[in-house]
Amino acid sequence: MNKRSALAFAAAGAALSLGLSACGGGGSETKSADGSSAAPATADAFNAGLEAVFNPSDKKGGVLKMAISEDWDSVDPGDTYYALSWNFVRIYGRSLVTYTPAPGAEGRKLSPDLAEKLGESSDGGKTWTYKLRAGLKFEDGTPITSKDVKYAVLRSMDKETLVNGPTYFNDWLDLPKDFKSVYKTPDVNTDSAIETPDDQTIIFHLKKAYGGFDNFAALPGTIPVPKDKDTGVKYREHVMASGPYKFDKVEAGKQYTLVRNEHWDPATDPIRKALPDSYEISLGVNADDLDNRILSGDLHIDLAGSGVQPAALGRVLGDPTLKARADNPTGARTWYTSIVSDVPPLDNLECRKAVIYGADRVGLQNAYGGEFAGGEIATGLLPPSIGGWKKLDLYPSGTGDVEKAKAALAACGKPDGFETIMSYRADRPKEKATAESLQQALAKVGIKLELKGYPTGDYFALYAGKPDFVKKNGIGLAVNGWGADWNDGFGFMSQIVDSRTIRESGGNYNISIKDKEIDAKIDQIFAETDVAKRDALWGEIDQRVMEQAYVLPGVWSKSVLVRPLGVTNVFVTGAFDMYDYLNLGVQ
Amino acid sequence: MVTYIIRRLIGAVLMLVIVSMVTFSIFFVVPRIAGATAEGFASRYMGRSANAEMIAVTAEKLGFNDPLPVQYGRWISGVFVGSEYDTGATIEECPAPCFGYSFIRRQPVWPDLVDRIPVTLSLASGAAVIWLLCGVATGVLSALRKGTVFDRAAMSIALAGVSLPVFFTGIVSLVIFSYGLGITAPGGSFTPFLENPVEWAYSLLLPWITLAFLYAASYARLTRAGMLETMSEDYIRTARAKGMKESRVVVRHGLRAALTPILTIFGLDLGLLLGGAVLTESTFSLKGIGDYAVQAIVTNDLPKIMGVTMVAALFVVLASLIVDLLYAVVDPRVRLG
Amino acid sequence: MTAPLDAPGKTTEVVPEAVLAGAGVKAVQGRSLGQIAWMHLKRDKVALLGAGVVILLIVIAIFAPLIVDVFGHPPNEFHQEMIDTSTMTPKGGTGISGDFLFGVEPVNGRDLFSRVVYGARISLLIAVLATMLSVVIGTVMGVMAGYFGGWVDTVISRTMDVFLAFPLLVFAMALVGVLGQFEKNLGVTGDTLRIGLLIFVIGFFNWPYIGRIIRGQTLSLREREFVDAARSLGARGPYILFREILPNLIAPILIYATLLIPTNVMFEAALSFLGVGIQAPTATWGGMISQAVKFYNVPHFMFFPGMAIFITVLAFNLFGDGLRDALDPKSSR
Repeated sequence: MNKRSALAFAAAGAALSLGLSACGGGGSETKSADGSSAAPATADAFNAGLEAVFNPSDKKGGVLKMAISEDWDSVDPGDTYYALSWNFVRIYGRSLVTYTPAPGAEGRKLSPDLAEKLGESSDGGKTWTYKLRAGLKFEDGTPITSKDVKYAVLRSMDKETLVNGPTYFNDWLDLPKDFKSVYKTPDVNTDSAIETPDDQTIIFHLKKAYGGFDNFAALPGTIPVPKDKDTGVKYREHVMASGPYKFDKVEAGKQYTLVRNEHWDPATDPIRKALPDSYEISLGVNADDLDNRILSGDLHIDLAGSGVQPAALGRVLGDPTLKARADNPTGARTWYTSIVSDVPPLDNLECRKAVIYGADRVGLQNAYGGEFAGGEIATGLLPPSIGGWKKLDLYPSGTGDVEKAKAALAACGKPDGFETIMSYRADRPKEKATAESLQQALAKVGIKLELKGYPTGDYFALYAGKPDFVKKNGIGLAVNGWGADWNDGFGFMSQIVDSRTIRESGGNYNISIKDKEIDAKIDQIFAETDVAKRDALWGEIDQRVMEQAYVLPGVWSKSVLVRPLGVTNVFVTGAFDMYDYLNLGVQ
Repeated sequence: MVTYIIRRLIGAVLMLVIVSMVTFSIFFVVPRIAGATAEGFASRYMGRSANAEMIAVTAEKLGFNDPLPVQYGRWISGVFVGSEYDTGATIEECPAPCFGYSFIRRQPVWPDLVDRIPVTLSLASGAAVIWLLCGVATGVLSALRKGTVFDRAAMSIALAGVSLPVFFTGIVSLVIFSYGLGITAPGGSFTPFLENPVEWAYSLLLPWITLAFLYAASYARLTRAGMLETMSEDYIRTARAKGMKESRVVVRHGLRAALTPILTIFGLDLGLLLGGAVLTESTFSLKGIGDYAVQAIVTNDLPKIMGVTMVAALFVVLASLIVDLLYAVVDPRVRLG
Repeated sequence: MTAPLDAPGKTTEVVPEAVLAGAGVKAVQGRSLGQIAWMHLKRDKVALLGAGVVILLIVIAIFAPLIVDVFGHPPNEFHQEMIDTSTMTPKGGTGISGDFLFGVEPVNGRDLFSRVVYGARISLLIAVLATMLSVVIGTVMGVMAGYFGGWVDTVISRTMDVFLAFPLLVFAMALVGVLGQFEKNLGVTGDTLRIGLLIFVIGFFNWPYIGRIIRGQTLSLREREFVDAARSLGARGPYILFREILPNLIAPILIYATLLIPTNVMFEAALSFLGVGIQAPTATWGGMISQAVKFYNVPHFMFFPGMAIFITVLAFNLFGDGLRDALDPKSSR
């Protein structure tokens, strides 16, 4: 799942908004922050928390107050696909490896967490071995063993029970055929997939080689779960802590409190500072109220991490003092529109091109929130922070090129234009605005769009992500968005360009890219061990996607975050493009 | 009297059964007619990685392939004896009264509703006190001073009041009083009464006033009309002729007669509000029954929609039952006729 | 009687049956209903004002394209040059000028004036047609229940009770949502489908309010002397029904229809506000307010559609009140 768009879904209240972000206008300021990237920042300045730790401190104590305007899928580490959860879960759970708590790109690098060091591969990248640190304990004092990690990974693969998480382990681990799930077939021997020769060692066996397995090991799915404490879907009501904090109060949909876990030993944990005495998380807070409280200092963090609401945006950007408290990170996320290549007349390349030529790219940027809260106008599917990205320049990125669009239409054999249907998620104002913008712009070249909003929760499962539905209803364009599960080509592209991931039963994020050449390139990538070559191939795929006009890119998302008052160690991590929740402290 | 009560009770139960059948068929039959499939229903509960086979299994497991009367029967029996749902890992209990089990959230619906009732109850009861007091007082005064500046002003405001949508007045007052002046609580605030009564009242003040304004306006108009009607009755003239004090005439004879129909309406209005003040809750982000209904509809969570509709209908039927019974106590003609 | 929305619009208008029946009595005395009504209405300046505004609104709705042509811009046309691209709000706060009478929307700079004017079309179309649907169903059912009595009355009355027990708004939302997704099978799409659905849902669930009143009226009319007289002169059922009873129901039907329209305007606005009404980019007042909530820092965005609803509802209420007073000889206004 596009965890970042899922996160945006969680972000907004009654009227759900897309990830709010902000954009390129802050370029000059970003650079000045770049210059002093090593030195910690203490004075308020726009983007001061982007490339440096703002207000660094080691002072312990206090209560860190967080809030979110909606409930999120689950705090069960095996059952969550929101970036905010992947960020937050590290407070109470420790995965084999995790993202280094550091600002900017440094934050995308992996550090060993439960493991002593990063994974060691053998068998040409098909086997990965991790050794656990000594002295690890759960919150009840029982030691953490590699078997708990194995159990956690296996249980997270049961998509019937824990529906939300990613499926990377399901797709890659070499499991025996008769294994259904830890609940249904608990006695099946799964050593062909994961071995635990002793309590400290865990060995993963993959079906095919993958050099980036550490990214899998960083998934919350590797956070240990003791088998005898697992209660299936109810585990979310009492997650066993392995990190420095444990759940105290759990009121689903209302609030969580976390207090110190006395069985967490700082000696086993070089990356966590564990500064506050406790965390208070309120759920279902009115989104506008949440912004106002952060601005006034009454609240510290908007857990959703997708930026302020439109009303607060005006306030923050309009007031120099408030603007100095804002950070404007670019996310590894692209908002785009799928141009469905098997719905006529869009099965013709020229007609697809006409859509891209005719689109008002500035209008789309505005629909997503403008230069700060929307993002930079995207020229390709791959966002710039991902390896292999190169600037593509295949189409004009202005307010629409009527002549080129008309020429393309003529070449397509539809000189007078055509009619098609465009779908969007009805409760996302920004996607609605996108559809409206495209409708206006394309009307000028004779392409008539009928807009159709579908409920967000079912958008991929029943509507735009279901090939049968798309074809039957003649949906030619579908608003879409995708964020990287981690920052490499595989973490971003694999779910959205590979035609072989498309299931007839629905739930696809790849709506429009069905291209043999791309599929072949992906196979080539899997066989390729050299990172640079792999990255280059992802770049080629991006180019092919644009040449074939399978998507109309909107923006590479940006968001306007507000630094909390009285909080230490504030910085934006490149891993999630929101504030790093691991080492925040209270002044 | 006893037979009347029994008859009325049976009527109420019958009504609930019919309401539940109609609701059930609308949410489960109408989509079928319009083209939804059992797999379509099931895939909603499957998360993002389900394949066709898993969906078919779930459809079977959740009984979407069963004949509709069977599905309905299962739902009803859940209300009385509870039911169980297989979530894969464990069998989840949905204890009676089981008003459905949300497969999307993996939770029974009833505890959620119980959780939210205090919010809606606080909102409705507080607003009710305000609108009843203000509305009736204004109506009586207006009727007594018919044609005066007060009457005209009060009735103009009342008419304006019934002509303004609550979501508009709500937002405008939030923007002015909470976000602008900062004197009232921001949207979404709620403190349980037992935790801190002062906080409770403070956090709900604005929603109360907004909601009460609407009702007060219409109650003022109602009271005024009723009072004018009664005050021109012969028996009032008789009372006055007897030399009874005017205040006594107004209160004992006029108001009493005029208030009876208003209390009927009050009972039903309150019943309806308890089933969810959808717009007010949605405007002020209050997590009540109405907000739950909206969330259920937005996420297309059928068991939730079904459960909340039933509970709301239950409130309406109960309220009308209580009103009828009270009437029977007050007015002997009802139970005899 | 209970009201469908948080707002008890209709609840207010409970007129004792006797009062309405009185109108019928008057009607038999020589002057036509219309004449009497006009006589009273002429003197009621407030009601006339209401009527004037109602007519004006209808004219605006009908001639929306013309009005927008002269005073504004096409309602869905973007004017991004009017928007500050960092905050996404209109340049200069509202964008109000001679060119944009009500200013522009945030984000895309659409002309608010044009959108409010076009909103009147949707609002009135749905409210009026839904009211007509309610009136037709309500009258037929009410007359049948009142006239035939017995088990017919019992069945119809119980049905009305069931309808009144539903949480209307929730139900309407859910129904529009459920039906709206299967448009392919319903044969129509887009705005036509949505408008049709809204008319159906609003109209279909509101008929019991009218039905109850008509039933009561019919009951009392049936027992009146002039009906007895006709019957004793040998008149048959259909004659009595159509020539004696129905004409005397015209007054209450008119009054309630007029008073139901503003309730339905509010209902449609509420559904659009909650996001289940007409779809983008078609302008509706409720939909505009729900968008404006996110932009409460740009208050003109919610002000104009809010005022449009207010004025429309108020005008219909004023006119309806006046009409009732005019048709009601016992009225004491």
